[in-house]
Amino acid sequence: MKLIDLAAIDHEEKSAADIINAVCEELGFDYASYATFNPVKGDVQGYANYPDEWKIHYGSQGFHHFDPTLYQSVLSIAPVDWGRFNHDEKFHSVFRDAHDFGITPRGLTVPVRGPYGECGLLNVTRDCTDSEWEKLKKHVMGDLQMAAVQAHDTVMQSGLLAKALYLPALSTREKEILQWVADGKSQQDIGDILSISHRTVEVHMRSGREKLGALTTPQAIGRAIGLGLIAPG
Amino acid sequence: MIIVIDGINQHKFNDVLDEMFKLRARVFGDRLGWEVNIVDGRERDHFDDLHPAHVVSINDEGDVVGCMRLLQTTGPHMLSDVFHSILDDEPPIRSAQVWEATRFCVDTKKLGRGRGENSVSYVTSEVMIGSFEYAKTAGVLDSIAVIDPVMNRVLQRSGNAPYDYLGSAKPMGKVVAMAALMDCSDERISGIRDYAGIEHDVFLTDEQALERFEGAKANPSAANYDHQPLTQLEKYFVEQMNSATSKAEVDSVLKLIEALSDRFTPEQKTALLRTPRAFAHEA
Repeated sequence: MKLIDLAAIDHEEKSAADIINAVCEELGFDYASYATFNPVKGDVQGYANYPDEWKIHYGSQGFHHFDPTLYQSVLSIAPVDWGRFNHDEKFHSVFRDAHDFGITPRGLTVPVRGPYGECGLLNVTRDCTDSEWEKLKKHVMGDLQMAAVQAHDTVMQSGLLAKALYLPALSTREKEILQWVADGKSQQDIGDILSISHRTVEVHMRSGREKLGALTTPQAIGRAIGLGLIAPG
Repeated sequence: MIIVIDGINQHKFNDVLDEMFKLRARVFGDRLGWEVNIVDGRERDHFDDLHPAHVVSINDEGDVVGCMRLLQTTGPHMLSDVFHSILDDEPPIRSAQVWEATRFCVDTKKLGRGRGENSVSYVTSEVMIGSFEYAKTAGVLDSIAVIDPVMNRVLQRSGNAPYDYLGSAKPMGKVVAMAALMDCSDERISGIRDYAGIEHDVFLTDEQALERFEGAKANPSAANYDHQPLTQLEKYFVEQMNSATSKAEVDSVLKLIEALSDRFTPEQKTALLRTPRAFAHEA
């Protein structure tokens, strides 16, 4: 089982790396990484913006065979604070060395499940006090969830087969609502037009945005028009 | 009190999960008549193998009295793979910030009426508080729950009405199933807390949950509590209470119960006075 740095082999696919860099810059983390298990070969593949020395050490020590941030976190649907792990031999062998490379054991992992049950993991760390950490978590958890699913979908869509499987399937409602947005209606207007609550409009928009891999509604509209799902307003 | 059991801590809770699967068999197989797979009196499906989060209520006697199963809508879940008919064959919602809640049930045999700690009302609220708080901490904003009309009414009457429904209700066994949307917001959580009178932190640590559950086995007689069937008179009062629409009407029912109190045991009277507005459908 190999450890593969996708940034090193796939020059077309930089955007997952961009996402983890943005997570650090915009949400205030020291380091971030994304990892997934290759379903065919079982390799651990992903992106990390840790210092190169640590990445090399991590691979050469074979930490990816037992790192609890990978193997424990896939068992949860909610983000897992690393404080929840048993401080067993596996934990210590990874984090004792991490400490020597200036990497804190204060971190968390957001697990993402994909449509075929495959799992992706977004890890973030920050060296800070307990109270700062709790505050930060509360503040950014929603953004982290979105970043995690984006990073995962980006990686999964990089293969041709995956591309075909991942074509966004928008429901009639999602398309209808995006069409009204393209026509310049507000969320409240759309709720009134369709006789549903504005909260429902919001849920469909959020789902539509994520299916289209878009960060903002205008971007989702652009992509939906590009894919011929809705008409230009 | 609530324990969240997922893939990380499930090895400690095999016995609790076993009780939960038995509860699910009684509710979804026996009571609701859904086409669920029951083996040895336990209802399990393949979603239970995907490491979902189980929000489980364990009462003071150590019984598993309520549960709910949470799955991410980004991955395989029931509305995408099993219940798509409810969505009128439209593709399901997929969002990292929406979780799906299924297999939501409480033990109507072990739990009584009224609003006390061992009531259907209390445990329903407790499970909802537990799951919404757990979801909110995870950065989740909304949940989509597959429920039956009885549960839907319970939610509407307990400060926790769904804000919308997706697709349309579809026949499922003896009842219909529907997909309800609920926000995981502070407003909703405090609404449920106010209704149920639950102010404390509902979560148990792994150790506390095990202690509570193990305590039950040491004292099995307490776990066999089963409430008596309603008498005609009790049924009458429950119906009256259910159809009361104003404070004055409620007061007059309470007065009547007081006036006829020689017809009940003291326990029956207490149960009636605490009253079962929300659960009158059991009558």
